[in-house]
Amino acid sequence: MNNRIEKRLEELKQKGEKAFITYTTAGLPNMEKTAMIIKAQESTDIIELGIPFSDPIADGPVIQQASYEAIKAGASIKKTFELMKRLREEGVEKPIVFMLYYNTISGFGIEKFVNECHVSGVDGLIVPDLPLEEQEALKEALKGDDRTILIELVSPVSKERIPKILSDARGFVYCVSSMGVTGQSADFHREVIDYLSTVKKESKIPVMMGFGIREAKDVEPMKNIIDGAIVGSHFIKIMKESDYDVNAIKNYTDTFKKELNS
Amino acid sequence: MNKKAYYGEYGGQFVSESLMNTLDEVDKAFEEAIRDPEFLKQYHYYLKQYVGRETPLYLAERLSEKYGTKIYLKREDLNHTGAHKINNVIGQILLAKRMGKKKIIAETGAGQHGVATATGAALFNMECTVYMGKEDVKRQALNVMRMEMLGAKVVSVESGSNTLKDATNEAIRTWAKTAEDTFYIIGSAIGPYPYPKMVKEFQAVISREAKKQHMEAEGKLPDVVMACVGGGSNSIGMFADFIDEPGVELIGVEAAGKGIDTEEHAASMAKGRPGVLHGTRSYLLQDEDGNIKLAHSISAGLDYPGVGPEHAYLHDTGRAKYVPITDSEAMDALMELTQTEGIIPAIESAHAVAYAFKKAKEMTPDQSMIICLSGRGDKDVNTISDYLAGKGYLN
Repeated sequence: MNNRIEKRLEELKQKGEKAFITYTTAGLPNMEKTAMIIKAQESTDIIELGIPFSDPIADGPVIQQASYEAIKAGASIKKTFELMKRLREEGVEKPIVFMLYYNTISGFGIEKFVNECHVSGVDGLIVPDLPLEEQEALKEALKGDDRTILIELVSPVSKERIPKILSDARGFVYCVSSMGVTGQSADFHREVIDYLSTVKKESKIPVMMGFGIREAKDVEPMKNIIDGAIVGSHFIKIMKESDYDVNAIKNYTDTFKKELNS
Repeated sequence: MNKKAYYGEYGGQFVSESLMNTLDEVDKAFEEAIRDPEFLKQYHYYLKQYVGRETPLYLAERLSEKYGTKIYLKREDLNHTGAHKINNVIGQILLAKRMGKKKIIAETGAGQHGVATATGAALFNMECTVYMGKEDVKRQALNVMRMEMLGAKVVSVESGSNTLKDATNEAIRTWAKTAEDTFYIIGSAIGPYPYPKMVKEFQAVISREAKKQHMEAEGKLPDVVMACVGGGSNSIGMFADFIDEPGVELIGVEAAGKGIDTEEHAASMAKGRPGVLHGTRSYLLQDEDGNIKLAHSISAGLDYPGVGPEHAYLHDTGRAKYVPITDSEAMDALMELTQTEGIIPAIESAHAVAYAFKKAKEMTPDQSMIICLSGRGDKDVNTISDYLAGKGYLN
């Protein structure tokens, strides 16, 4: 197993631990701070690094604003690849997944993009506007290479699509828990437990729950079903409120991971 | 890849997983509906009795004389609510009702599609929310008032550039959360499949009528058909019944704003490259990082950084030609049409008129062209007066 995400998840499975995943917008407030934010998170198992896009249709207001600010501060896919190279050279072995919109990939050139992912150590891709039916070109470029894998998303309304989506999914399954976009309140979709159970039953790989989670207690009711939790909008809020303070980030992630596994 | 979702390499369904089943439901319901004589009867009833179709195909006599070729105007400006937008709204809202949806949402730039949707919502007693960029809410206060009078809720969108593309993003986000009871009425020939197909179907009435009317008047097909292109709904409707008539030249007119060599234009086919926005792959104005650039046009309805996927396909295959017209060329044509024929066109439509005058010079007296006059200019009086004041046109 030569993928950092799969390796980390296998280790967690052995230890019987649940995974904690955070989302950070690359270049918010600048690439220097992004590097610090990544390094500060000892307890975080996988880091989702969002490449800011001008029209983030799957994101709520917090990440929209974060993307807008990052772009204004000069963030780009090229600079994020540079950051990745630097982090890997400095010995950061944390699994890192790019969360980005398809136009960022297609604008860069699909082949060239995949090659840069391989070279700079991007372990996985989450592309929220690329449903199963549109993945062919990207998957062809990825060629099943272990270095960079495509993470699949499912939603509470996926229903009969779930087996199709999961059939050759790798890494983990990203379960959108509340309907719609990121940053919703913890008022989870009414059939969320049933839905997560269905996904868990169908899935050979770990099942992660995202969207609308703030504290570890938010996932308490479904703790026995899921293999981990993803925090995005709330994490951005914590960072902004503390003015990107390394200790605040460390405290939050340490606490979440600990409570998630208590 | 879902082949039927594509026009060549353009189109598709680039949306979040949460919308995939919804799009499939809409597609199935649409295909059923347009094969159901009852549905079609209803649709045509409202087009006739409520919208006021069919619209005239008017031979612009003085212009024809001046330019030495027959210039016909397809008078979509005479529709209820003042533009072609209502054709599509009636179709989609009947579909929404058929699917049992209670609420409708829409995006709007200048407010024309918003007003048409709010109108349809009032007519069919549905709850309506229109998403509009904060900047546009300020610029188009009168249309905001119209929508509110019609009972719609107008949501001012504060995100990104605060304009049409951001309003569309917000409508898509809302839809992803509420698709169970909500139908999204897209006003342009854009969006994920099946939207470009539906918009074309419901706007095709323009070319169906025009073809028949031209036959009656001239006993033959027109030589040239042209329309302005923003997202491309009036143009795809104007082209629809002529696409399979190889003898008819199809011309789409893009907004060149202050010129296609400046940074301020909306000419996505002249200056853009293929990419993905609002669920579809097509030509887009974008920077080197793949971020979408702001479009500019004096006409709010053409002020969009992308174009419908079928237009991208017609462009690449050469079946249709797309040409740019600047703000000032469009305004000159607007004044000329107003003073020569007594018709104040929408600034959008004036783009097509401007190119028609250029094109006419290479045509003969026995040839003919049809220009889609997609809307009337009443909504633009403020813009026109500002423009004229700045340029001193009337002095």
